[in-house]
Amino acid sequence: MDKKMKALIAGSTAVMCLALAGGVSAKTIKIGITQNNVGVDSYQTTYEKAFIAAAKADPNVSTVVLDAGGDVARQIAQIQDLIQQHVDAIIVWPTNGKAVVPAVKKAHDAGIPVVITNSNIAKQGMPYIAAFSGPNNIKQGEEAADLMCKALNGKGQIVQISGKPGYTTAIQREKGFEVQLAKKCPGVKIMATQPGDWNREKSQRVMEDFLVKYPKIDGVYAADDNMGVGALNAALAAHRAKDIKFVGATNFAVGYEAMAKGEYYGSVYQSPVEDAKNALKTAVEVVEGKKVPKMNYFPTPPIDQQNMKNFSKPVF
Amino acid sequence: MAETHTTASLAPAATERPRGGQGENAMAETRLKQIGGLLARQGIFVAFALFMIGFAIFSDRFLSVENIMSVLRAAAIIGVMALGVTVVVIGGNLDLSVGSMLSFSTVMVVDLHDKIGPGAAIGVTLVATLGLGAVNGLLVGVAKLNSLIVTLGMLSAIQGLTLIYSGGKNVDIANQDTTWFKIFGRGYIADIPTPIVIFALAAVVLHVVMAYTPFGRRVYATGGNQTAAVFSGIRRNRVVFATYLISATCVAISAIILGSRVMGSQNNVGQGYELQALAAVILGGTSLLGGAGTIWKTVIGVLILGFIQNGLLLLGFEYYVQWLVTWAVIILAVWLDIAAKRGRLWSPIA
Repeated sequence: MDKKMKALIAGSTAVMCLALAGGVSAKTIKIGITQNNVGVDSYQTTYEKAFIAAAKADPNVSTVVLDAGGDVARQIAQIQDLIQQHVDAIIVWPTNGKAVVPAVKKAHDAGIPVVITNSNIAKQGMPYIAAFSGPNNIKQGEEAADLMCKALNGKGQIVQISGKPGYTTAIQREKGFEVQLAKKCPGVKIMATQPGDWNREKSQRVMEDFLVKYPKIDGVYAADDNMGVGALNAALAAHRAKDIKFVGATNFAVGYEAMAKGEYYGSVYQSPVEDAKNALKTAVEVVEGKKVPKMNYFPTPPIDQQNMKNFSKPVF
Repeated sequence: MAETHTTASLAPAATERPRGGQGENAMAETRLKQIGGLLARQGIFVAFALFMIGFAIFSDRFLSVENIMSVLRAAAIIGVMALGVTVVVIGGNLDLSVGSMLSFSTVMVVDLHDKIGPGAAIGVTLVATLGLGAVNGLLVGVAKLNSLIVTLGMLSAIQGLTLIYSGGKNVDIANQDTTWFKIFGRGYIADIPTPIVIFALAAVVLHVVMAYTPFGRRVYATGGNQTAAVFSGIRRNRVVFATYLISATCVAISAIILGSRVMGSQNNVGQGYELQALAAVILGGTSLLGGAGTIWKTVIGVLILGFIQNGLLLLGFEYYVQWLVTWAVIILAVWLDIAAKRGRLWSPIA
């Protein structure tokens, strides 16, 4: 009983303080976010932590943090709840770029600006959003192509291990890589492309088959470091890793370590912390009435063995 | 009933199907006999041989020792799982939870490796995985719930458990080159990759258990006719419970190979593997109704799936074509198997 009373007093005091603080400072901005599927991978887990931390650091921002658990229906319900709560802006990490369009339109019609984070909404949803905040995956593919070109001095034959078929990120990285390579680096030829499904074991299996099929492979481009390290594992086992340059994307801790060992050439640095901060910043600026570009990319710089000391090791 | 099925694995030629087909049927049979003798009734072996020859014609690297070793090494992970699933299916039940169980065990063994050392990590993982198998076993064996529902539920439940355990993070082993844990996935025993040796050993052990021990006979009997089995004094509950423990043990072994091979794990690494394992089991001719099937044929099923994927990649097919062709090949294999049993390609009755 005693404890309960204490908690009650503490709680009400906190509420009063908050109310006072709210009264003193400018109006607090209330931002709701519905995420895709927290906990399913390290990237999303880190993203959520960074988002909450960034929101706490800003005294003028309060947040309602929700997670759709990968469920489209739940995400749509969450957007509707946020509309009911009259938040100042809604951030959506779409579970499905097409399915969320009607819910996003509803928010737009209710006068609540929507910011899409990380993975963009489908084309027909674009008129209803205030901005997109996230990585530019086509650019990431291009950065990787430039790295590969540099690694091979503009000449060689490579294989590509792509992400899960059908995923926008996978498609865009593949496209960016292939177009840029053909344009800037015609001496480097892609012999074959196979999906690694974002799965290190699958990628390792695919690379083992590539190693059998092609007696000479100069480079491997993998659509993320997780798969890139799988390919590296396969090449190490076949004693051919020394002859092959590995370029990845979304630098993972394992990729960073392999780079430090000199086994992995380079990757593209994409920080979930930057991703989360950028989303919050974009939403705040939209609410404050600042002019925000519709496509609000955060920087995803190339990282290789030379410049890696400028980057901290990824936490995932 | 049960005896027929157990002996099927010992002398397939004699008991695989009832004799008595006259005329056309018998002629077809003699022809098949000329081709393959004992193998004639083992359509799945014939199908396997045909695929291997087909791929070998179009790719000169397909039958190289390097390639065969590489395919077998990769197939061992699904393979060991499929062996366990075979035992469950022969016992008249399904196990769909093996995919997420594999994720769970792999995450656990990799995570614990750096915390408590490889030996202890393997021990703890084995016990934890057996615990999950015991839950399946209790619900299906003792509570007598439908195995499809139970293990489908466990598929999501264990995925959730894995995420809670890891907090959503990928896990990795820090010192990949120095740990003796690497022997399971990356090592060699007498020039043969360890995963292949483990797969072969597991197959031999389970074959002996299923074909030569009273326990094996009880599994066939339970799967073939539960009621008859119970009235024959077989403790059905215990038998079913044990089949799920065997399946969980196989998953734990696969997880150790996978963790050692990749030296890390994602939370969903085994996603979809349950269907691949089940496909290998069905491809091997094990009846989904229970009571019939052999460990050896599951091995062939695993090999067919492994070599198809490899062969199509070597031939340079796009992945979406690979999916189509894989399906076609599975249908063809199953058809050949059935046809060889019937003695003809098509029959008005099953």
